[in-house]
Amino acid sequence: MMGYLLIGTFLVLLLIGVPIAFVIGIVAFLGIVSIEYIPEMSVPMRMMNELNSFVLLAVPLFILVANLMNQGKISEKLIEFALAIVGSIRGGLAQANVLVSMMFAGVSGASQADTAGVGKILIPSMKRNGYDTETAVGVTAASSTVGVVIPPSIPMIIFAGITNASVGALFLAGIVPGILVSLAMMIFVYIIARKRNFERRERVKASTFFKLMFESLPALLTPIIIIGGIVVGFFTATEAAAVAAVYTLLISMFFYKTLKLSHLPKILFDTLSLSSLSLFALAAAGALGELMGYYQLGMKAQEFFTDNIDAKWIFIIITILFFLFIGTFMDAIPAMILFVPVILPTALQFGFDPVHLGLIVVMTLAIGLVTPPYGLCLLLAAKIGKLPIERSFRAVIPYMTIILVVLGVVAFFPEVAMYFPKLINPDLF
Amino acid sequence: MNKLVKYIERTQIVFGVTFLVIFFLTVLLQIVTRHLSISVIWTEEVANYSFVWAVFMGAAVMVNRRDHFNFDILQKKLGGKKKFFLNMLNDIILVLFNITILYFGIKVVQKFWDYNWTALPDMKMGYVWISIPIMAITMIIYSLSHMLKHFERFRKGEAQE
Amino acid sequence: GDEGSDSEGSSGEDSIKIIAAHNQTDPENPYQKGLLAFKEKAEAESNGKIEVEVHAGTIGTEESELVEKLKTGAADVVLVSPGFMTSTGIDQVDLFAFPYLFDSYDHWENVVTGEVGDKMANIINEESNNDFKLLGYWTAGVRHYYGKKPIKNIDDLQGMTIRTQTSGVVSDFWEEVGTVPTSVAWGELYQALQQDVVDSAENAYPYFVQQDHHQTENGKYITETAHDYTTRFLLINGNKFDKYTEEQQDIIMSAAETSVEAEWKSLHKQEEEYKGIAKEDGAKINQIDRQPFVDIAKPIQDKAAKEIGVEDLLEKIRNAK
Ligand code: NA
Ligand code: NA
Repeated sequence: MMGYLLIGTFLVLLLIGVPIAFVIGIVAFLGIVSIEYIPEMSVPMRMMNELNSFVLLAVPLFILVANLMNQGKISEKLIEFALAIVGSIRGGLAQANVLVSMMFAGVSGASQADTAGVGKILIPSMKRNGYDTETAVGVTAASSTVGVVIPPSIPMIIFAGITNASVGALFLAGIVPGILVSLAMMIFVYIIARKRNFERRERVKASTFFKLMFESLPALLTPIIIIGGIVVGFFTATEAAAVAAVYTLLISMFFYKTLKLSHLPKILFDTLSLSSLSLFALAAAGALGELMGYYQLGMKAQEFFTDNIDAKWIFIIITILFFLFIGTFMDAIPAMILFVPVILPTALQFGFDPVHLGLIVVMTLAIGLVTPPYGLCLLLAAKIGKLPIERSFRAVIPYMTIILVVLGVVAFFPEVAMYFPKLINPDLF
Repeated sequence: MNKLVKYIERTQIVFGVTFLVIFFLTVLLQIVTRHLSISVIWTEEVANYSFVWAVFMGAAVMVNRRDHFNFDILQKKLGGKKKFFLNMLNDIILVLFNITILYFGIKVVQKFWDYNWTALPDMKMGYVWISIPIMAITMIIYSLSHMLKHFERFRKGEAQE
Repeated sequence: GDEGSDSEGSSGEDSIKIIAAHNQTDPENPYQKGLLAFKEKAEAESNGKIEVEVHAGTIGTEESELVEKLKTGAADVVLVSPGFMTSTGIDQVDLFAFPYLFDSYDHWENVVTGEVGDKMANIINEESNNDFKLLGYWTAGVRHYYGKKPIKNIDDLQGMTIRTQTSGVVSDFWEEVGTVPTSVAWGELYQALQQDVVDSAENAYPYFVQQDHHQTENGKYITETAHDYTTRFLLINGNKFDKYTEEQQDIIMSAAETSVEAEWKSLHKQEEEYKGIAKEDGAKINQIDRQPFVDIAKPIQDKAAKEIGVEDLLEKIRNAK
């Protein structure tokens, strides 16, 4: 009974426009008030305790990396290089859009920064070069979702924090599926580009190509430093984020010379803003998660599945559908804080490897980045392209289908994802 | 009121960014000292707690700037008086929620002020917990100033934002 | 909400509900076995008038959080280690975290079931103003070194980084031994050991083997240093306890006794089991002469005992061997 009341309150508050982080907090508070034996103090306490975790420090650090890349004009360098590689294919700008997102993904742990940084340049440029706005917005939003699938990835770090799975293994598991998504999108772009006769650019001269490659190299080394540093043990995943920030800062100040110390306050403030938005929502989700802990939802879910549905594949389909739904109106981080503990016991009982499960959850929630009403990448790209949300979403659907197909492959053929982590850490599994 | 709010926001931003920088540097220190085989055992705690401060201060500033994500379907549909009441209602809800956070936050501070940090026993947990009531009270101030603005605009008959 | 019954939580009435929580999510953990035994006994003896809800990490996976919950009443019975108790301002409990305080489980049992155990229970109760009342002493096993090379004598440890608890006495000891105590989050430790971020760590078999640390590059050599026969406090909120009827209090105390037995038994069994698993998986286990370590620990114990004012208790523990 109380449960329905809380869900009702949740929906009403959401509808009248209360910020979602506060809706979560208010519902948590009301729920805890309704349980006599839990003191109300638990709400602020859990909000702090939820944030008190070393792995979470990676969130602002990776956001800082992305902001430095955008401010330091590194994104622009990468776009030029991507254009030099794929620009001469038909639909070159769209191809470069996907390719640069893949590169960006290897440096950044979040997707929004990619949409913002790359979209700001490529959406107007695509429009000028004869692409319809739908394609420009759709490809920009959709291709940036690989930001959280290709390592490093903030959601993967959070998932590892919740489940104690190895961050390194999760990172390695994301490489192949992430590249698959990007490649599939490039093939799709190629097909529609031929059909609609999109532009193609002249092949750049070899000298230009190598010049651009040289200029992009320091930025493209970042993923190697991050992933390599974690794999050879120079630092932990959280520390890797800090190292990446220092590295990006250094190359943009001394190699690209695009960043001045006077830019730093603004970059730091932007980083604080963006990260405190999602982390405050996470803190509130922690309080709601605690309420669900008292309800022992995880145990109940496990009982439900063992009593009613004894098939692994049904469980995974339900999981995917559920997170697809949650992802439409909630950020990946609070969504995982709330619901991963609920599904984890069942998943373990069905024999899922936490790394495999993590990849499935992260990919599903990545789709949430482009589904309305709350899909950050979609909202950003639509805003840049000045396209209504409904039309933007329609433009995204074909790409979304691609991610879904790859997700299905990963879910039912775990080897696709698990090959790399097993190769490097054979004892792990 | 406007001036005061601006001043509070500025101060809060300075605090938030400072804590962000502190935890960033602490994480770096942890890496460096480990590779030099120097034992600095407090890095994790200092990093975590400055992080908590940074997030709570940042979250409050974001209330002032109305950047916390919300669904504006209804707000877009309504106009005039109805929109005014909806905006007021939203801010009242924020104020009420934050009053409870402030009240219970203060209780938490009182109850746990004397608890120690693990690696730095001379530091009190109170220094960490107090970030919660500070966040709540600034969020209340920001929301009240928003209500004042709605009201002024409504009185002047201007369209609500 | 509370799904029906209105009498839940309010004490002194017919039926009460007790929220019992520990921080381990593994359903096979000895903590879980212990609390389930507590639940079973309390519910059976009270004919269901006492309801016990056991939370295995569901309302907090950090001990500090559980202690806070115990104080605010968000949990009634929790399990805490000495290291975290000291953060509540009760310095004396740190005694039980001293390295090489005990030389065997027998020694440990003699102490916690004897005079020292009673005295510590009183200290905890008084210093916390009755927020915490001790129901029994549990253990999380005996902690050993595991790292990238086997330790044959103390010199082998020189300059190695070791992941240990961040409490003062513990890190003092490891520094004195010649190692570099390092802080790595438990969740990142597997990776840290696998990838050479830290050279070694220390823990009890059921904990590090369950996390597969013994399968890592820097965790496959186990040296049985036995530097810590760990103590865990099973605590109840004293103010709440006082409001229960005498009958309820008796039932809780006897259920606590049962839980102590169950937890010890399960822990000892698992210690054997997990040591066996480690061996099967190819980890190398060796013994070491502990005397040089004990010699290093002794002055540290003396100094720390003086600082926190438990010299008499330390003396009694040493005499209980
Ligand atoms: Na990434
Ligand atoms: Na893109």
